[in-house]
Amino acid sequence: MKNYPIWKSFTVLSLVLLGIIFAIPSIIYDENSENWFLKNKINLGLDLQGGSYLLLEVQLDVLYKEELDNFVDSVRLISRDQAVKIEKIDIQENDVAVFFTDKEKIKDIRDSFFQMYRGVSLQINNNKLSIKLNDEYRKIIQDSAIKQSLEIVRKRIDESGTKEPLIQRSGKKRILLQLPGVKDPERIKDLLGKTAKLTFHIVDKDNTSALQNNLAPFGKIIVPDMYDENTKYLLDKRAVVGGENLVDAKGSFDQTEGHAVSFRFDTEGAQKFGKVTTNNIGKNLAVVLDGVVITAPRISSAITGGSGIITGNFNAQEASDLAVLLRAGALPAPLEIVEERSVGAGLGADSIAAGQIAAIIGMVLVCIFMILIYGTFGALANISLIVNLFIIISLLGTIGATLTLPGIAGIVLTIGMAVDANVLIFERIKEESLKQTKVFQIVKNGFDRAMSTILDANITTLIAAVLLFAFGSGPIRGFSITLSLGVIASMFTALMLTNFLVYMYLSFANKKELKL
Amino acid sequence: MFGLNKIIPVEPNINFLGLRRNFLILSILAILISIGLLSIKGLNLGIDFKGGTLIEVSTKNTSIGELREILSSSYSDVSLQEFGNENIILIRLQNKSNQESIETVNSVKNLIQDKVIEFRRSEFVGPTISSELLFRGFQAVSFALIAILIYIWLRFEWQFGFGAVVALTHDVLFTLGLLSILNVEFSLATIAAILTIAGYSINDTVVIFDRVRENLRKYKKLELVDLFNLSVNNTLSRTIMTSLTTLLALVSLFIFGGEVIRPFALTMIIGVIIGTYSSVFIAVPTLLIFKFRPQDEDD
Repeated sequence: MKNYPIWKSFTVLSLVLLGIIFAIPSIIYDENSENWFLKNKINLGLDLQGGSYLLLEVQLDVLYKEELDNFVDSVRLISRDQAVKIEKIDIQENDVAVFFTDKEKIKDIRDSFFQMYRGVSLQINNNKLSIKLNDEYRKIIQDSAIKQSLEIVRKRIDESGTKEPLIQRSGKKRILLQLPGVKDPERIKDLLGKTAKLTFHIVDKDNTSALQNNLAPFGKIIVPDMYDENTKYLLDKRAVVGGENLVDAKGSFDQTEGHAVSFRFDTEGAQKFGKVTTNNIGKNLAVVLDGVVITAPRISSAITGGSGIITGNFNAQEASDLAVLLRAGALPAPLEIVEERSVGAGLGADSIAAGQIAAIIGMVLVCIFMILIYGTFGALANISLIVNLFIIISLLGTIGATLTLPGIAGIVLTIGMAVDANVLIFERIKEESLKQTKVFQIVKNGFDRAMSTILDANITTLIAAVLLFAFGSGPIRGFSITLSLGVIASMFTALMLTNFLVYMYLSFANKKELKL
Repeated sequence: MFGLNKIIPVEPNINFLGLRRNFLILSILAILISIGLLSIKGLNLGIDFKGGTLIEVSTKNTSIGELREILSSSYSDVSLQEFGNENIILIRLQNKSNQESIETVNSVKNLIQDKVIEFRRSEFVGPTISSELLFRGFQAVSFALIAILIYIWLRFEWQFGFGAVVALTHDVLFTLGLLSILNVEFSLATIAAILTIAGYSINDTVVIFDRVRENLRKYKKLELVDLFNLSVNNTLSRTIMTSLTTLLALVSLFIFGGEVIRPFALTMIIGVIIGTYSSVFIAVPTLLIFKFRPQDEDD
């Protein structure tokens, strides 16, 4: 036990012990354990436990266009109040140009408009008022849309019964979802694919020419039927009441109409609804969902109770899904799914099994090889290699990292590369043993000389791994994590544990000469 | 103990540098062919980079032909492929707009519902995402090369950094060329493999460079060619050992790790072999361009 300080043995052994102990939770892998210790287990990535990864993009263009339409409507209203005629309106991608017949009051119109929309850029040029959707204003729209969308998506996912979903903003206009254990990704996609903007509008049946010409007059819109595109309705553009006033919605069954969605308004909604139905008896009220009319029943009597049902040709699932959507609320803009990766539980389990086999066989092959080449020293390196694996597992577990399929590949690769540090040391020892005969001096020189090489060589691998983490996504990050941990753990095991083991072996075997 | 390590002598004396011209010609040829292949044939881009839809199913007693018949009547661009064994089939569809693709997945699933035991996986990558992923992949690889260059530059002299990056670029291009010939699917995992190869190859190179640096200090009078030869020989057994253990692990991953990871393992196997070769035959000879001696004597 020459020259080997007690504190060093103590440190090495306790680190090894910790490494082994904290690998236990991941090896036992009790999925539902609440035990503080057993909870420190590896998280399996979606590709190993099954589930869905979705990337959604908020269709901001729709919102920008809507805002431009709002601008136009507001300018029209203002100029009507001021009794100014509009000659022409020109809507571009980013701006609206309004040409007035006289330029007397154009400044007043601009000022009134500015009161309503602070932050937009306004410019007057002769009889032209340009309203520009500038970047700041866009950013306000964008941020609030993403925030709202996140909230609505979260509600919808919660309602769908997915446990432990991860929902977060990704980049400027995207939302990232990780849904472990989802068995029917199609249903989730359906739930997310709908804006679920519900509004009630009075139907205008008198103006038949508008429908024939397919040209809605100011203040009206033409909306197709949900089931028959050729049936169209002319509706008041202004909604009587909308989905934001709903407090509850659920799927229900009506004797005569079949599956339906029954809903209840809040006080404000109930009041509005009551007033409109009282004033419009005999007219039809259209229920519009995402730009199509679901149904447009005749108002036969005032509805003041604040509740009602929506009927359509629903089946039970559709009715209950619509209820979920209405409860969660409308998205500010449509979401488009731009990336999906769903893995079934079967493939995940197969991947884990295959990964384990590959790791074990790789390990056995490397161990045999090391013993064949380096004999006893190889066996010592193998102990380090096994401890190395335990340390990787325990680090993954304690830092709560996610293990993915590429992550498993990273571990297997690490098994092959981890012995490198040992090989470097042993080769140095081999060279040193030609130069001198003092056993402990040989070993000491071997380790010292190999040290800087080991650091240089491993840091370059770490650089690659870190960049991979920075630029990679999901599963690939899992690879860079296991690779980095593997590299770090291998430096520790080679420089400290192998070192310790070699000293112990040489002391106890009382070796007088060293042959490698 | 078993004496196997005696296969490689402790102080081998192989004239690697003497062979440098032959290998240089070989490598230049390989690189030219690789560049040619990459520009003419290109890589077999997977859906990560090409976009599109992929569905993996396990079937019950249904042949791939039957499935193809069912699907090809509705989709002209569908391609099917057995994946690992005959009961597991990959269905690929080309890229469409986001909305269309999502609907396609749905209707494909409905069409073959009763022939299928499990939908093992479905992936869809939209057109905007696939080009972003490709861009980020290139970014990652180029930044890695630059970062490694900087590191080597800081730790060694800049000439070493140059040699290392020449070798790395050689490895990346050569590997890509082989992937093109072998028609291996190029995916996000392949980018990971290439970065790891870069890390591995540089690791190998650094070990030899380290020895070159040490020997430059130790043997002031030795001819550069001989000194480089000596350094390569000094580290030869380590180079071989580490490559072999890494290859053992990778071959195990290739054979037993499952179908999904196989292209990754194959890419890594190719890369480790090329990386080991280039450390000895490209990185070190590149150092001959520079004259280390005059500066050294100034020290």
